[in-house]
Amino acid sequence: MEGPSSRLSASQVKHVKLPGRRDSSGDSETDPSRNMKTHFRVCRFIMETGVKLGMRSVPVATACVLYHRFFERVSIHAYEPYLVAMSCIYLAGKVEEQHLRTRDIINVSHRYFNSGSAPLECDKEFWDLRDSVVQCELLILRQLNFHISFEHPHKYLLHYLLSVKSLVNRHAWSRTPVAETSWALLRDCYHGAMCIRHTPQHIAIATLYLALKSYGVELPVGEKEWWQVLCEDVTKADIDAVISDLLQLYDMEAKCI
Amino acid sequence: MDRDLLKQCLRYHGESLFNKLKCEQTENPDFQAVASDLCKATYERGEEQSNPLVEQFIARKADILFCPSWKTATAQEDEHEEEEAAEPYAIMPPLELFMEVSYEERRSMMYRDLEKGDIVVGRINNIREYGFFLTLLCMAGGLKREIEDLELSALCHVRELPSTGSHDDPLAYFQTGDLIRAAVKDIDRYQEKITVSLQPASLPPSSEQIKLGVITREELPLHYSRSVRAAADSTETYGYILGGCHGYHNPSVVDYLLEKVGISDTHPPSMMRGLQSNLFKEEDFASVIRKKQSASWALKCVRAGVDHFKHGRHVEAMNEYNKALEIDTNNVEALVARGALYANKGSIVKAITDFELALESCPDHRNAKKYLCQTLVERGKQLEEQEKLVTAEGLYRRALSLDDSNPEAQEALRKITDAMQKSIRLREEALAKEQDKAKSGPTSAEKLRKILKEEKRMKKKRRRSSSSSSSSTSRSSTSSSSSSSSRRKSKKKKKKQKRKAERANKRHRRISSRESRRSEEGKSKKDRKDKDEEELEWYPAPPNTSATFLNQTGGLVFGARDEEEVEERKISQLYSLSAASEEEDDHSSRRERKGRDREDSRTRKNSQSRSTEGRDMSRERGREDNRKDRRDSDSKRRSSLDDKSKRRLSCSSAELENSQKSASGNSAYKHPEARMRRNSSTRNSLDGGRIESRGRQDFHKVEEVMRRAEEERSNKNVGNHNEEGDTRPKKDLPANLLNIFNQIAQFEKEKGGQPKK
Repeated sequence: MEGPSSRLSASQVKHVKLPGRRDSSGDSETDPSRNMKTHFRVCRFIMETGVKLGMRSVPVATACVLYHRFFERVSIHAYEPYLVAMSCIYLAGKVEEQHLRTRDIINVSHRYFNSGSAPLECDKEFWDLRDSVVQCELLILRQLNFHISFEHPHKYLLHYLLSVKSLVNRHAWSRTPVAETSWALLRDCYHGAMCIRHTPQHIAIATLYLALKSYGVELPVGEKEWWQVLCEDVTKADIDAVISDLLQLYDMEAKCI
Repeated sequence: MDRDLLKQCLRYHGESLFNKLKCEQTENPDFQAVASDLCKATYERGEEQSNPLVEQFIARKADILFCPSWKTATAQEDEHEEEEAAEPYAIMPPLELFMEVSYEERRSMMYRDLEKGDIVVGRINNIREYGFFLTLLCMAGGLKREIEDLELSALCHVRELPSTGSHDDPLAYFQTGDLIRAAVKDIDRYQEKITVSLQPASLPPSSEQIKLGVITREELPLHYSRSVRAAADSTETYGYILGGCHGYHNPSVVDYLLEKVGISDTHPPSMMRGLQSNLFKEEDFASVIRKKQSASWALKCVRAGVDHFKHGRHVEAMNEYNKALEIDTNNVEALVARGALYANKGSIVKAITDFELALESCPDHRNAKKYLCQTLVERGKQLEEQEKLVTAEGLYRRALSLDDSNPEAQEALRKITDAMQKSIRLREEALAKEQDKAKSGPTSAEKLRKILKEEKRMKKKRRRSSSSSSSSTSRSSTSSSSSSSSRRKSKKKKKKQKRKAERANKRHRRISSRESRRSEEGKSKKDRKDKDEEELEWYPAPPNTSATFLNQTGGLVFGARDEEEVEERKISQLYSLSAASEEEDDHSSRRERKGRDREDSRTRKNSQSRSTEGRDMSRERGREDNRKDRRDSDSKRRSSLDDKSKRRLSCSSAELENSQKSASGNSAYKHPEARMRRNSSTRNSLDGGRIESRGRQDFHKVEEVMRRAEEERSNKNVGNHNEEGDTRPKKDLPANLLNIFNQIAQFEKEKGGQPKK
């Protein structure tokens, strides 16, 4: 890790809002893979923070989508990604009605950046940080034109799981952790921008598909495959595309962290 | 690693996966343990090329995927879907309906997967003497499959019908074509025979509440009706139905289903190595950090507070302590500091509470212990001055239990035990003397009983008087009974006494008002029991408790306001003997009510002077309201909210009640008729009430008198309405009215509970 701790300090926060910060090392500025890695790390930060804050999966997903959509519109060099991530978490809590307190978000993030450190004092630094989180939230809202509620694959996946489950012998099903695996895959796919590139149904089907494949679960085949039934417009190529994107993320983990 | 799962996976993916696994999991001892076993596995389909990327993924993540702890979902009992209107998630038709799986495959799958205890719905197609046959329509629990076109038939033996009694044939209750919900009892997979049962015992324990037997068309499972629709209409695709389901739009559908599926959303699974749940440390979680932060923040405040305190700025210090406690409730340091401040300021009881709280969360806090010890001794001395020796002694003992070497406490305890022994000796002597005096007389127990009886009688008398006349007399009677023993009044305690008196006053009033009501409606047993309890609780007024100060200070404390209240209460008692529930309300609300009352009376006056019609209407309303009032006065007493909302009505009706009283007074003599009339009057609509009341005027002269009196009074009200409101005229109510009231009360008492003597 290249020490995000140094990047997020109260002094830094001030010129976070200045667009057009061009002071990062010039050699990799245009390198998309570098950006992807940064996004991966920031999303990992969102995920970890989400777990520590006790967020449910859907708000975490919303936070990630907010983040990706934001950086779809602006350059990563213009804004401090971790601050944006914190604001995304805060905003996602509001959108998905799991209200989080800025204080908790700041506390957890602070500890994430400076592991093992004592909690922040409630002094000026803290309040500055809090102000910038709130300011950044407004910025995100404006950048996204207040389109901040998204459809997620989560409820599709759960319904699909139930439907598929009744196709399988119940003992075979209870032995196989398909539900856990598909849920884990679904959560993991928010590490990358793939979560906004594919439609929710496709992601849900692909994660379920991969989970079933991982355990070699065989489903009966009729005129149509099960995934064709669940979503009319999905093709095998779509599923493969999602899966390859997802597997890339797992490869990235090894490279990034 | 789960060997069976791994085998299943290898059988599916073939040897290439095994090779990759061997490559990726070389360092995993778990895999090495099972590897030799796995290479013997048979590979079913090596020919179909599966995605190498997927295999790579499986191989890499095998340690997570096949770890036994990965499976968090416990084998849940298949709860049966809620068929109620509330559909927590989208209940979808079985998938194979859309997949168009072949008939043979579905049929064999069905026989493979159907189990004892599953619930099916079928239609009777044949009734024989040994049972009936069902054509299965759909599944209703357990398995969820599309079976309507599978031509499954099931036998329900006559033994499996619940016996309905000793008499006729149980099969007589069934007809061909009936829809039956039944539990699968047995499946013969080779002969393809299914037997079902209607006995509740054949259900699995998780679905015991399901009723077996004949059902109506409406009771068919939701997914069945949806699949029928989907089968009929090809535009009804899975996605379309899903979107149209009520449960799909349930905002908490994800949480609900996660719980159903058995996935924890607070410790979510992840395939990412960095997000494995064992990597999360407890102290990194938000709640833990917040707690730590709050504690340190609070401590900062306490430090500031102590600083203030040292400079003598006690108010600021208190503010800081309170702030600290707001930030971190039960912060030990803050509690101790605040307690010390309280003790310094003389609020010893508050100080003790703070110290105790501090010790509760930190039992070994040295300062807290020390301070508590000191304050307890201090408090004990206070109590000693008030001659509460026993309590004081207890406090000293407690102080010693905290710190047994505290010299002050030891000293105080010694003194107090001496004093107590002395007083006990004195008392004993006095008692002995007395006993000598009255050797032949009754024993002390008998004496006590006698006193109690006496008191009871007094009270009864009082009650009667309070129910019939104004409460001020009842008050004075109490005062006469209790004030005899209350001549000790020290200036020092005056403030406290006042407070106590206030409380006692309130209580007393409440009791007396309750009694007055009781005397009217004390019918139910429970009520009487309540009252007995109350009487017990009410009786003895020991010399130095609140009851004694009741009458001495009451007037002083409340002053003019109290007088007002007395007046008002008098009125309300005069007017509505049963509306006593109002009296319980605290002063503020009573005054508020009084204000409203005035307004009401003003408006009433207007309406009265203008038309008698309006008054009749309001009388009708008032009566109805009043009756209701009496009926549920018990519950009403508790729910003051309700009370408040109704008070307006009952107030406006208060004036009218005397007429009603008179009617019920008449009913003492013409009981049945009166009741009939009352009933009819409730039934009548408002405009009908006018004619009614006119007719009544002819019949009941007493009421006529009453009304005249009322009108008289209202006229007077018009005269002096601005300054006095409606309080004045009640005083000069005709004396015969009071008599009537007395009669009513008397009658109702007799009619109600049996005479209590």
